[in-house]
Amino acid sequence: MRHIVGDSITVTAKELKQLLRDPISLALTIVFPILLIQIFIVIATAFGAPSYDIPVVLADLDGSSVSKIFVDKMASSPLVTITQFLQTDEQALRAVERGAVTGAIIIPKGFGDAVLNGRPAYLVLQTDNSKFTASFLVQAAVSSSIASTAQELFDKFGIMFGTQATPVEVISRPISGRPPSGDAILPGMLGMITILGAFDDIVNAVTRERERGTFTRLVLSPVNILSVYTGKMGATIVLNAVRTTLMIIIFVLTGLVIRGNILLVYLVTSLIAIFTLSCGLLLSSRIRSSSTLTILEIAISFPLFQLTGAFQSPELLASGGRALTRMLPWTYGNEALRRVMYLGLGFDAIATDVTILLISSMVILPIAALLSKRTM
Amino acid sequence: MSAVKFLNDILAVTAKELRLFRRNRTAIVISLLVLPLFFTMSLGAGTGEAGTSFSATAHVPIAFVDNDMTITSGRVYSALSSSGDFNNLLQGYREENAIALLGTGKIYAVIVVDKGFEDDLLSGNKARILVYADDGEPSLDTTIVSTVEGTLLYFNPSVDVQMVPVEGASQVQIVQKGAIFSGFSVGLTIILGLVIIFATFYEIAGGISKEREDGTYARLLVSPVSLGAIMIGKTLFDLVLNVIRTLFVLAISVYLYGARPNTDFGTIMVLSLMIALLTMGFGFMISSLGAGVRAVIIIEFFLILFLFAFSGFIIDRELLRGISKSISFVLPWAYGIEALRRTILIGQPLLTLTTQLQFIILSTAVFYGVSYVLLRMSHERLAV
Repeated sequence: MRHIVGDSITVTAKELKQLLRDPISLALTIVFPILLIQIFIVIATAFGAPSYDIPVVLADLDGSSVSKIFVDKMASSPLVTITQFLQTDEQALRAVERGAVTGAIIIPKGFGDAVLNGRPAYLVLQTDNSKFTASFLVQAAVSSSIASTAQELFDKFGIMFGTQATPVEVISRPISGRPPSGDAILPGMLGMITILGAFDDIVNAVTRERERGTFTRLVLSPVNILSVYTGKMGATIVLNAVRTTLMIIIFVLTGLVIRGNILLVYLVTSLIAIFTLSCGLLLSSRIRSSSTLTILEIAISFPLFQLTGAFQSPELLASGGRALTRMLPWTYGNEALRRVMYLGLGFDAIATDVTILLISSMVILPIAALLSKRTM
Repeated sequence: MSAVKFLNDILAVTAKELRLFRRNRTAIVISLLVLPLFFTMSLGAGTGEAGTSFSATAHVPIAFVDNDMTITSGRVYSALSSSGDFNNLLQGYREENAIALLGTGKIYAVIVVDKGFEDDLLSGNKARILVYADDGEPSLDTTIVSTVEGTLLYFNPSVDVQMVPVEGASQVQIVQKGAIFSGFSVGLTIILGLVIIFATFYEIAGGISKEREDGTYARLLVSPVSLGAIMIGKTLFDLVLNVIRTLFVLAISVYLYGARPNTDFGTIMVLSLMIALLTMGFGFMISSLGAGVRAVIIIEFFLILFLFAFSGFIIDRELLRGISKSISFVLPWAYGIEALRRTILIGQPLLTLTTQLQFIILSTAVFYGVSYVLLRMSHERLAV
């Protein structure tokens, strides 16, 4: 037993020494997650920005005092920018159809008169729904401008009107008590960086060793195969700890308050890394080229962003997707990271997730070791 | 050099590439099967089929706590449970017990109808509904709250059957125009672009880098085949693969997930091949810089991430500001993605997308031109 532990530590040290000697790989281990997280922050910021400049056109066919108030409100909306005032509704609709703008707002003739005389009034809004988020924000800008117009008319003239206001107010109470932001995706991003990092550090290293022929020599040396894999796992855990620390620092610098126990974060990322390593070793026993393996890794990682609940809760997926998500142990890792980092829950809340990750690794790692040995 | 020899050389290079590809089973499986199948099926898994209406909240377990216990609060439950958006509403929980379960994964939200709900409505006041949500799950809380709001937008406490818009005497209606698209249809444009760019870049840049590492590239360059013939030959080979890939993605989307593109097959194919040519040009340019296979893979990863962030794949370009907007403006793939959306979703004729087409063609020409010059220089170095 002491022999196995000693050999494992030797293999771990050898892996880390090799990484230190390879400046490109070392730089990638550090730079790769930083670049990756910066891109994720760009994405999260774009979705959570307080204002946008979504281009719209407006055709005021009414020209009344009421429509002018509405136009003023639209012009001061933080969501949209009126790029052009058009004379006809055809021109406005055409601008959207051409793809020049995302929305066209048409105020029909008689709009102001209808509002002032208490008759039903309407506005026409054409949106380019191929731009999913932008068109939704244009709708929100129009609704908000109608509400502001109604308020101004009431304040100035005591006239009451508005959109069809719901009699029921829905009040949201998030259990984290945090204000709405894109921060909820950050723990999932840490999970994805852990997956990619673990795969790249060791699995690719093993494949490159295979290509160079040094892996066979390592296996033929008087070191137990279990020590070889345990040693590689040790290196993964050390590198993963470095990466997790780096990520936590970036998260804190960008304003994310980590509520739970930091040690639990390290525990979960280590388990994700070990499971990824197990899967990677399994794959590497069948795919011998390191470049093919990396391409496969990247190809799989993009769908994994969705299927492991990194960007969006797995509960919001279609039934097939939900079932698939629940079969992937990484989903439980991302879930555990969110519970610890975002909600501040303790070990009890993530015990099931941790167990699933652990059991999955314990099942896959021996199979990977066996298949690897057969390929010698 | 005669045109016939040039043409023969091109065909010889294309044939050689196809032969090499045919011998590599792993490459065939990954490039033509795994990529299109995995990407398209993960889209279907996330958004459901194109033809069916999909509600993201329909199966999410949500507790419904009625503290009012009146006919009106019962109508709120009926309105929610019959809407098709909340098929997994769980009753019988006490408010504090239900809230305690949030974060455990057993339930994801608690809808609480407060005491006095009916009285508020009947006396003309706004009645309150509280939604406690597990915001540790990305997007889940906002999706549930907005769906509850949408369902109860026209809630009428006096009727059993809800969702009948109440025409107020001086209300303003927003008449909305513009076609609505399913999540799968929008996603199809992303997946098609992604599969093409991802596979094409690696096939060209990775292929040349691998040949360079193996030593066969230098031999190819010093053979009596012109550099132009080599580049066009490799381009033709990859166009063949892209035709197969595009067909495969479209076949899965149409026959398995019921997608109905609003344009003809030829338009999709032409656009796909234009995006492929653009990516090939970029691939040639990267390989002309002497990048190794590992560097190519890293560049590929960041190219895809860049496209995710700045090309309209995930974030509409209109939402970007500052430096992000500038990057998006000069990113030629962004115009390709936009063209795919405008043709597949809106049905706009391809030839009317002049700005997008000009940008793609110009960028492709620049990439090929720069690559040719750089590869020519390395060719001359080899000759010396």
